[in-house]
Amino acid sequence: ATKRVGTPKRNIHMSNIVEEMIFDKQDVLSTPKLKSKRSLAFGKEKDIEKILLEVTPKKPVEETPKRVQRSNSKYVKDSETPKTPSQKLKMIRSGELTPSFKEREGIEHSKLSKNDLQLARERLHVSVVPLSLPCREKEFENIYTFLEGKINDKCGGCMYISGVPGTGKTATVTGVIRALQKQVQEDMLPAFDYLEINGMRLTEPRQAYVHIYRQLTGKTVAWEHAHALLEKRFMTAAPRRITTVLIVDELDILCNRRQDVVYNLLDWPAKTAACLVVVTIANTMDLPERVLMGKVTSRLGLTRLTFQPYTHKQLQEIVTGRLGGSEAFKGEAIQLVARKVAAVSGDARRALDICRRATEIADSSKGKEICVNILHVQQALSEMIASAKVQAIKRCSRLEQILLQAIAAEVTRTGVEETYFMGVYTQFESIANFVGGILVPNTGQVLRLCSKLGAERLIICEHTRNDIFQKILLNVSTDDIHYALRVTPEATQ
Amino acid sequence: MSTDIRKVLSELYPCRSDFIGKLCDLLLESLPHVLYVYGHSGTGKTVILRDLLRLMGKNTNFKTSYVNCIECYSTKVLLENILNDLCSIEGVNINCENVNQFTEFLKCFYTKPTHTSLIMVLDQAERLRDMDGNVLPSLMRLQELTGLNVCAVLVGQISFEKYYVANGLPELVTLNCGQYTKCEILHILSNHFDAARNNLKDYIIQHQLDKNDMQEKLHIVENITIEFFNNYLNIFLYVFHKACRDLPELKNTADVCFISYMKPVLSREVDIMDAQKLWRSITPTLRTALTQIYMRYDNPYELKCSSDNEIQKIARSFELPFYGKYLLIAAFLASHNSANADKRLFVKHHGKKRKRLQDVNAKAKVFEKTSAAIGPKTFTIDRLLAIFYAILDEKVGLTCNLLSQISTLVQLKLLSFVSNENNIMDGSARLQCTVGLEFVVFIGNVVGFNIRQYLCDFM
Repeated sequence: ATKRVGTPKRNIHMSNIVEEMIFDKQDVLSTPKLKSKRSLAFGKEKDIEKILLEVTPKKPVEETPKRVQRSNSKYVKDSETPKTPSQKLKMIRSGELTPSFKEREGIEHSKLSKNDLQLARERLHVSVVPLSLPCREKEFENIYTFLEGKINDKCGGCMYISGVPGTGKTATVTGVIRALQKQVQEDMLPAFDYLEINGMRLTEPRQAYVHIYRQLTGKTVAWEHAHALLEKRFMTAAPRRITTVLIVDELDILCNRRQDVVYNLLDWPAKTAACLVVVTIANTMDLPERVLMGKVTSRLGLTRLTFQPYTHKQLQEIVTGRLGGSEAFKGEAIQLVARKVAAVSGDARRALDICRRATEIADSSKGKEICVNILHVQQALSEMIASAKVQAIKRCSRLEQILLQAIAAEVTRTGVEETYFMGVYTQFESIANFVGGILVPNTGQVLRLCSKLGAERLIICEHTRNDIFQKILLNVSTDDIHYALRVTPEATQ
Repeated sequence: MSTDIRKVLSELYPCRSDFIGKLCDLLLESLPHVLYVYGHSGTGKTVILRDLLRLMGKNTNFKTSYVNCIECYSTKVLLENILNDLCSIEGVNINCENVNQFTEFLKCFYTKPTHTSLIMVLDQAERLRDMDGNVLPSLMRLQELTGLNVCAVLVGQISFEKYYVANGLPELVTLNCGQYTKCEILHILSNHFDAARNNLKDYIIQHQLDKNDMQEKLHIVENITIEFFNNYLNIFLYVFHKACRDLPELKNTADVCFISYMKPVLSREVDIMDAQKLWRSITPTLRTALTQIYMRYDNPYELKCSSDNEIQKIARSFELPFYGKYLLIAAFLASHNSANADKRLFVKHHGKKRKRLQDVNAKAKVFEKTSAAIGPKTFTIDRLLAIFYAILDEKVGLTCNLLSQISTLVQLKLLSFVSNENNIMDGSARLQCTVGLEFVVFIGNVVGFNIRQYLCDFM
C-alpha cells in the first residue's frame, strides 16, 4: 500500500457522506462524532421499549492529537451558513455540517386512529427490528461471549459469520453490540469504540478506509490519506487505547483482485497495538476458502458461525412475536405462510412481506373483517410466488400465441432448443392453416411479432436484421404454453 | 401555406403527388412521434424531403435539420450536427456528448412555449442500427423525452422490420415510396426534353469545327419535336426497362444514347421521319449500353466500344514478374483442382492406373461439382510452392525474393488469406486465389503455358 499523504480530493460525492437513516427504534448505535449535538426525542411516544433504548452511552472522548484546523473565521463563523459551495464542501468534509433530511409538514396520525390491521402491518414491517431476535438465542450468546471476551482481554481478533439472506445475521450482531453498550453504561465492561462498514454502500473497496476514518474522527479525506492515518493509528501503541469493534457487512464485495483491503482489515487485529476486533458478515459459508487468498484466510481464523435458514416453526414464532398478541391473524394463516416460505428459502423478510400483503388484502376486502384468514394469505402467496409468465401468455394476442406454439412445435420437431426463424415460420403457417379462419401474415409481420415477444422476454431472439436466419430460444417452458393455451375457452371450441 | 408547398413540390416532382400529399399531411399539421420513409434508391425520397425542408425553413414556425447518418461515425457527431441545425447561435460551439445532453439542450433552447415544430431528417437510417444502442430508441421517443413538438424522420431503403432490437421499439408511422411504373418513367424522362436538346447542341459545338455545317445541324436540332423524342424514349425503354428501373441511371444512359441516335440524322444518312432505319442504326449502341449500365464512364457523350476485352486489359495492366506470373498460375491451379488429383497432374512418373468402372463414373462431370460452380478452394503455401516447382521447367532456388512475391500478390488482391494469416511460417495459413479463369489464361498465354491442360474441369 502506498503511504502517499496527499490533500483530500476535490470531488466528493454526497453518496459517500450521507449515512443511512437511523430508525429511532435503534438509536443507540451511534458513532463518535466531532460535534454531534444529538438531542433525544423524549416524550413523543411513551413506549417502555423506547425509554429503555434511548440512553446514549457516554463514550469517553478520545484524546488523539488532532491537527489544529485552519480557522476560516474570516469567512465563516461557526454554526453560520456557508456562503460558497466550496466552503460548504469544506464544512461537510470536516464534519461541521451534519446531513439532515427535510422535515415533513403534515402531522403524524395518532396511534389511536389506526385499526388492528394497520397496527399489525406496522409491526410486521421488515425495518422494525425487535429488541431480541426470536429463535436466534444461541447465535446471540455465541457472538456475545466472543466479543465480551475480546473486550475484557483487550486483544484483537476476527470472526466470520455466514448464512443465506434474511436469516438475521446483521440484526443479531447489532443486537449484541447494543447489549454490550448497555453493559458499558452500567460499568460492567470496559468502554469500546464501535465502527461499521457495509461493502454494498461503497463505490469501491478502498473507500472502506474513508468510511472507517470518518466514523473515528468525523472528517472526510481521500482514501490514500485515510489509509495512512489508520495504519499509523493501529500500528503504533498508544496509552489509554480502548478496544475498537469493527463490523464488516457484505465482505464478498470488498474482495477485489488484489484483496489488499480485506488483507489490511484482517491484518490490523493481529497487531498488538491495535486492540481491534473485526466481525465479518457474508452470505456464503465457504467464502474464505473459495475467494480469499491463503494468507487472508489464515488471518480470518477459524472462529466461525453459520446462521441456518429458519424452519417453518421458527418463522411462525417470528411472525407471532411481531404481532405481539394482537388478534389480527388467524393461527393457521401464519402457519401456511411459514410453511410456504420455509419450503423455498427460509427467508424471514419474505415471510414478513407476505404477511403484510395479506393484511392489505384483508383491509381492502368487502367484509371489513378485522382478521386475516387463510384465503387472504392464499391470495398473497399466489401474487408473490405465482408465475407471471402463464398470465402473460394468456394475455398475448392470438397470433402471438400461435407463434409461441409454433416455436414449441419446432423445438419438439428438431429436438434442439435453438430454432431458426425459417423453420418456425413454416410451423406457424401450418398451425394457422390448421386452426383456420386466419389470414397468414407475411414474414415481416411475424418478425414484428417475434421482436415484441422478445422484448417481453417470453422468447429470446436476436436482432431482426438477421431476418429468416435469426435464432430463437423459448424463454418459457413448453408446459407453460400448453397450460396457458389449453385452458383458454377459444381452444376448447 | 401547406397547399402552396404541395403545389410547388408536385410541379417539381411529377408522379409523386400522392407521396407528397401524405408527407405534407404528416409533417405540416401536428407531428407524429417518428416517421419512417422507405423505398428503393432513385425513387426521390431524399430530394423531395430536402426540398420540403427548404420550403418549410422559410416559415418561422419550423426548424429543420437534415443529417446523413453515413457521415456520422459516432453518436457525438450525429447529435452535434442535428443541434447545429436546430439550435444555431452565432459563434457558439455546441458540445454534446450523449443523448441525455442532447435532450436537455433541446429542452433548454425551446423553453418558451413557442409553437415551433422541430423536424430532423436522418438519411441512410440503416446506420443508426450500428451506433450506440440507445440512439435509435431515444430518437423515436424524442417527443416524450423533451416535451416539444419534434419529429425524427428516418429515411432508409429497407423495411422497418429489420430495425427491431432485442428490447423492442415503439410503434411508428411508416410511409412507403414506391417505384415508378413504366409510364411514369416515360413521363419523367420526356420532361427532360429541353435538357437533352441542349446536351446535343453542346456536343455539336464541341465536335464540329465547320461553321456552315454546324449551323445546319443546330437547325435540325431546333426542329426536333417532343413526339420524336417520346418515340425515341419508347424504343429506349423497350430495351432497358427489364434491366434497370433506377431513374438517375436511366436518365444518364438515355442522354448518352440520344446522341448516337441522332448521329445518322445529323450526317443526313437517314431522314428524321424514318423510324425503321433509326431503330436499326441505334440497336447495336443500345446493346453495348445495356452491358455497361451502372458503369459511369468519364465521357458524357460517347459510349465505350467494348470490342476490346476488359479482363484482358486489366490483366495486361498488371505487369507481374516472370516468377510472379507462374506463382499466380500455380495458385489458380491449387485453388481449382482438388488435392488428390495433384499426383496424377504434376508428378512425372506416377505409375499406371487401372481403369475401373467406378472411377469412370466418378469422373462424370456434374456441373454443380465443378469449381466454376463451387468457387475456389483454399490451399497451403507448401502446396502452392510444390505446384509452382512442378509447372516451372527450370530449377530456381527458394529465395526470399520468391517468397516475398507471394505477399506482393496478396497485397495486389490477386490472392487472399482465408485463415491463420498470423502464422504463415508454421504452414497453417490458408490462401485462396481470387482471379478468374480468363485472367489466368491470358497470363498463361504471355508465358507460353497452357492452363486448360492442367485443370480437372476441362478433362
